[in-house]
Amino acid sequence: MTAVEVVLVYQSLLGIYGDRGNATVLTKRLQWRGYDARLTVVEAGDSLPDSGQVYLLGGGEDAAQVSAVKALRTDGGLARAVDRGAVVFAVCAGYQIIGNSFTVGEHDEVIEGLGLLDVSTTRGPARAVGEIVSRWIGRDGEDALLTGFENHGGYTSLGPGAKPLARVEVGVGNAADGTEGAVAGTVIGTYPHGPVLARNPALADHVLQLALGTELAPLPRPEIEELRRQRLVAAFRRSS
Amino acid sequence: MAGSLAATASRLLGRGSGTAIKGAVMLKVDPQALPHLLVGKHLVLVSGTNGKTTTTHFLAAAVRAGRDPSGASIVHNADGANLHGGITAALSDKPKATWAIIETDERVVADLIRVGAPEVLVLLNFSRDQLDRNHEIKALGRSWRDALAAAGGDGPVVVANADEPLVVWAAQTARQVVWVDTATTWTQDASLCPQCGALLVRDQPDQTGGHGGRWHCSDCELAQPEATYRVVDGRIVDADGNSFDPGLQVPGAFNVSNAACALAAATQLGVDSATALAGMRTVTAPAGRFATARFGSTTARLLLAKNPAGWAEALPLAQTPEVVLAIDSAAADGRDVSWLWDVEYEQLAGRTVIATGPRAADLAVRLAYGEVEHRCLPELADALAGHTRPVDVIATYTPFQRLRKLGGV
Ligand SMILES: [Zn+2]
Repeated sequence: MTAVEVVLVYQSLLGIYGDRGNATVLTKRLQWRGYDARLTVVEAGDSLPDSGQVYLLGGGEDAAQVSAVKALRTDGGLARAVDRGAVVFAVCAGYQIIGNSFTVGEHDEVIEGLGLLDVSTTRGPARAVGEIVSRWIGRDGEDALLTGFENHGGYTSLGPGAKPLARVEVGVGNAADGTEGAVAGTVIGTYPHGPVLARNPALADHVLQLALGTELAPLPRPEIEELRRQRLVAAFRRSS
Repeated sequence: MAGSLAATASRLLGRGSGTAIKGAVMLKVDPQALPHLLVGKHLVLVSGTNGKTTTTHFLAAAVRAGRDPSGASIVHNADGANLHGGITAALSDKPKATWAIIETDERVVADLIRVGAPEVLVLLNFSRDQLDRNHEIKALGRSWRDALAAAGGDGPVVVANADEPLVVWAAQTARQVVWVDTATTWTQDASLCPQCGALLVRDQPDQTGGHGGRWHCSDCELAQPEATYRVVDGRIVDADGNSFDPGLQVPGAFNVSNAACALAAATQLGVDSATALAGMRTVTAPAGRFATARFGSTTARLLLAKNPAGWAEALPLAQTPEVVLAIDSAAADGRDVSWLWDVEYEQLAGRTVIATGPRAADLAVRLAYGEVEHRCLPELADALAGHTRPVDVIATYTPFQRLRKLGGV
């Protein structure tokens, strides 16, 4: 059995929207396929392990986001992980943190990000809250529709070093240019928070395949198909 | 005219409670109705994310036992309608009452401190609830803190949970605080200092679930205050050091914590500890919580859980071999159900879960990943039908209210 380590980064600071769900999903999908998958939860103040194949960052409030970026810069482990080709999957505030910069507070204080993804975030004119559906760029079929729930005040623009993950069908996403999320190599950022990988098993398996460098067999689960159907119907009905 | 007004009010409130709609109409006709109704009353407010309905029932029962066994002079929003409209409606039902024991939504606390001159304010806890609306928990805490500072020497005595950093920070500006050590075990929502943003440190957290550990800030002076009321091993210790077996009829350690807060508040209102507890022991099913309902041949106990902290308390209480879990994402439940992933449904492994409610499919996926055996029956009536043995039901707010109606409790 191949051993795989999934690292959940700063659950207490960046876990406000059930984002640990992504860690559960990845770990289970590996275990169900016979991998010896292990979940490591790291809190601020403890070092990130250099042994992980996947690193997960979730959402958090402004103060938590600032604490997290400071601790991660001091730690340095996330940059080392990217250098050795590990996968970083970051949602919501975590997505902003791994970018070049983001703003917090009423006075839009600019905070330097970790610079692992060529994106910059500033406060948008209105908070984006609600169901989001996007179409995964470079994918075909029903799996290409990504469904989630977004809740963020920041709007994100991409630099030349990053490509958008998807195009928004319903919702806000990066906002300005109709794109959603960003990708560069093995680093992926996206706004839909919490259990985004629970709703999008193809994206979950994509993260795992990037990490393992191998194709994974499909893993059909009727519950997930039904949830996807319901959320897509609900989002498109609301938008029409 | 009145009908359209009521419809507008209902939309604004989003809860569809009859009392709340009546109150909203009254406020539309006379925006000053609420402060006018509060004139000449001893006003007591109870707020917090979880437990405010039960705590308000405890406190009303304690005041009744100690101050007016007939209950004629006590008004209480017993149905849990806790926004401006619901509070106004409850007060208007008993305009001559002199004691108003009022459950208050977190967003209404600051306003009632300003217009109602409460004598006592009970602040229970502060955890994530409906984040799609209250996306900054701290802003709410600040609104309490600012209102207490503005009230100055005319403000209420605050009874506050010393285990909750945000509650402590918010209560610091009050003219007088009675701290209660509630032995709270839920710590997932309080990792940063509300005053300076540095990491909070907890001493000796008890991993067996006994206690979250005393907390202090790693950078500034904010720390868990010394409490005068305490929960110790399931008993309540009052300010004089008397230790009581709470002997409550409602289950759960968190209700002992709620009772400790109600006891501290009752003392402020001139009720002695023994009498207050005797009153609290008469509380059985506050606003349907823990009530036993009948659905055809099925007997079901109804538990309410609105957020991860509430689920952490409710899940261990559900002991039946089959458990019904009802999830919705209406406005009152929070539109975002991401929180399902912060609840340890894994503890239900080995039993059969029936997932129900409009968001049953989200729960089913959560249970699948938790490797918990389950069936998905989105209609509440289907989920409750035909059980030969009693079932425990845990529901979010909207399905809970529907189940109360269906089950007649
Ligand atoms: Zn501090």
